[in-house]
Amino acid sequence: MYNDYIPVVVFTALAIGLLAAPLVIQHLVSPRHNKRNDKLMSYECGEVPEGSAWVKFNVRFYIIALVFIIFDVEVVFLFPWAAVYQSFIAQGQGLLVLFEMLMFVIILTVGFAYVWVKGDLDWVKMQLKYAHGRYSKLGVDKK
Amino acid sequence: MDYIQPYLMLSSILFSMGIYAVITRKNAVAILMGIELILNACNINFVTFNRFGNFATLDGHVFTMFVIVLAAAEAAVALAIIINLFKNIGTVDVDQAKEMKG
Amino acid sequence: MNNLQSIQYFLPELLIVQLALSIIILDLLSLKRWVNICVYIGLGCSALLLCQLSSPIDGFHIFNGMLINDSFSYYFKWIILISTASIIVISNYSKELDREYSVEFNAMILFVLLGMFLMTNSIDLLMIYLSIELVSIPSYVLAGILKNDKKSNEASLKYVIFGSFASGLMLFGLSWLYGISGSTNIYDIYNSLALVESPYMIYISLMLILVGFGYKISMAPLHYWTPDVYEGSPTVVTAFFSVAPKAAGFAILIRTFSILFTDANSLSVNTFPIHNVNWSLVVAVLSAITMSIGNLLALKQDNVKRMLAYSTISHVGFMLMAFSTTSVEGNIGIMFYLAMYMFMNLSAFFMVIHVENNFNVKNIEDWSGIGYKSPVLSIFMVLSLVSLAGLPPTSGFVGKVYLFRTLFATEQFYWLGIVAILNSVISLYYYFKIVKSMYFSEKVIEEKENIQAPVYTLIVLFSAQNILFYMYWSDLYNYIKGLF
Repeated sequence: MYNDYIPVVVFTALAIGLLAAPLVIQHLVSPRHNKRNDKLMSYECGEVPEGSAWVKFNVRFYIIALVFIIFDVEVVFLFPWAAVYQSFIAQGQGLLVLFEMLMFVIILTVGFAYVWVKGDLDWVKMQLKYAHGRYSKLGVDKK
Repeated sequence: MDYIQPYLMLSSILFSMGIYAVITRKNAVAILMGIELILNACNINFVTFNRFGNFATLDGHVFTMFVIVLAAAEAAVALAIIINLFKNIGTVDVDQAKEMKG
Repeated sequence: MNNLQSIQYFLPELLIVQLALSIIILDLLSLKRWVNICVYIGLGCSALLLCQLSSPIDGFHIFNGMLINDSFSYYFKWIILISTASIIVISNYSKELDREYSVEFNAMILFVLLGMFLMTNSIDLLMIYLSIELVSIPSYVLAGILKNDKKSNEASLKYVIFGSFASGLMLFGLSWLYGISGSTNIYDIYNSLALVESPYMIYISLMLILVGFGYKISMAPLHYWTPDVYEGSPTVVTAFFSVAPKAAGFAILIRTFSILFTDANSLSVNTFPIHNVNWSLVVAVLSAITMSIGNLLALKQDNVKRMLAYSTISHVGFMLMAFSTTSVEGNIGIMFYLAMYMFMNLSAFFMVIHVENNFNVKNIEDWSGIGYKSPVLSIFMVLSLVSLAGLPPTSGFVGKVYLFRTLFATEQFYWLGIVAILNSVISLYYYFKIVKSMYFSEKVIEEKENIQAPVYTLIVLFSAQNILFYMYWSDLYNYIKGLF
């Protein structure tokens, strides 16, 4: 019964081995005398690195990822529907089933339109909330 | 494996680890990770019951898909709230959100 | 019945979905001034559509066994619709909410309304979970809709963490119920539960589902989110949270527990818990704890909204006292009390909104002198507070009498009645702190009071129900009794 798992064992052994072997060989073969201060600094094309390596992420990354995940899980709902659609056509209810799924997609399209028109898909959001006073000449959309 | 117990034990262990993460962690994003663990433990439960129960319908799998979608939506909203909190407080440490007490 | 035939029973919800989508589209087309008219017309039409739905108590299943259409849910839908409509009217006159996000606010309240309608109807595990999430997720956003206010952010953070956690636990309990029976319809699950020998699976699933529902209605170990969320949210949102999700939560709690975990599998029969899994004792103890926590912790609160949050918790404790008897009188009592509670709680909150709009108040002490500045509204506020405390010439007293009567009618849990009476007495103190501050503090307020007609009308209208229901409660009670 367990004979089917032999390829898995071989695969795992190969994966671990092909990872471990270069590391071990590198540790045995590499020179020891140049692993000191200047050699261990991070490389920045010849410049001296300064500051922390942790930079602040633009929050737009999150907004784009959020919109992506919502529409991705919408597609997740489409897959089972597509799998059983043929049997509904055979029963003569194809149009009704299509209409139900169309309603679902339309609701999500309204959400998509909302995100688009409100400017959340732009990389730099160009709609100022209080664009009056000294910001009124910026030439951006006032909402 | 033809027994149901290992799968249910796996889901219970994941569930407990999720509860531990929600109760113990200070970082709001880590608490969200714990909530995702809880929801995924429930998913394993549903799929396991459908595989071992000799049921006529595939309700467990369909339920799992709904829960996956809902977990994604909930995590999205929770992360948006955390970002909003970060803009005002400056940290995601939930101990620092202490304006209201008692 | 299948999908196509069920649509005629689903029309109010369809109209609400279409209304929410339409106002989003109207906002995108820059037609924002039509949004208010659209919402009012839409809510009126859904009320009309709701009128033609009434059905006998053992109604019929629609949408292939996902929803049930009966008079129990019909009554709760009216309570939820009236409270939501009044909140939407009031939200136009609140100074706290951002004018820019008014369309999003209305859309989210409509989605919560849809979720609450579905909560009252649900008889399938998936529908229970989905409707609770549909109520919860926009509520998280509504609690934090003031983006620059630290208290609002903190309120929504606490709400989302607590709410997701409780929903996750409830889902685990639902998965065990599915595993026992193989079906997600709670009537079919009951048939399988009756055959189970060892009660441990029922214990686990029951406790976890009680956690999920208890979080929604702020039951005792799960009430921690209530004071912070109520204090941090804008007051309009707080007024909404304190009435409508509680009503929907009680609807789903009563329906699920009466059908799944009792011997009779029905709402309209006096019954006992299943298999001697004595969950009614657990609910009774939790109700006593809830009442006591709500009343004792409200005694030392300074902030009006926080105090009203603890008073909400104590009212939930009273209603759970009637629920723990698993009888028809209990269900009737809860439904009757929810109608009274809606009016008195909403009128109290609308007065708080009015005072916050016009005078700069933060605590109860800042309410000094309001009794003389706006005399008419203060009288109605005193009426609401007296009703909340449960004193005789008001409807709150009638509601509490029916909740106590449940204990005597079913001859159970007399100790719970004693605890409830003591708690009622304690609650007088913190309600009358507001009255004392309004009338008995010497302070002259110079700010001009700006009375807006709808706010004034709603406060007077809802508060007058306190006296009206004291005189004419029997009509409502007999109507509810006739529903069963």
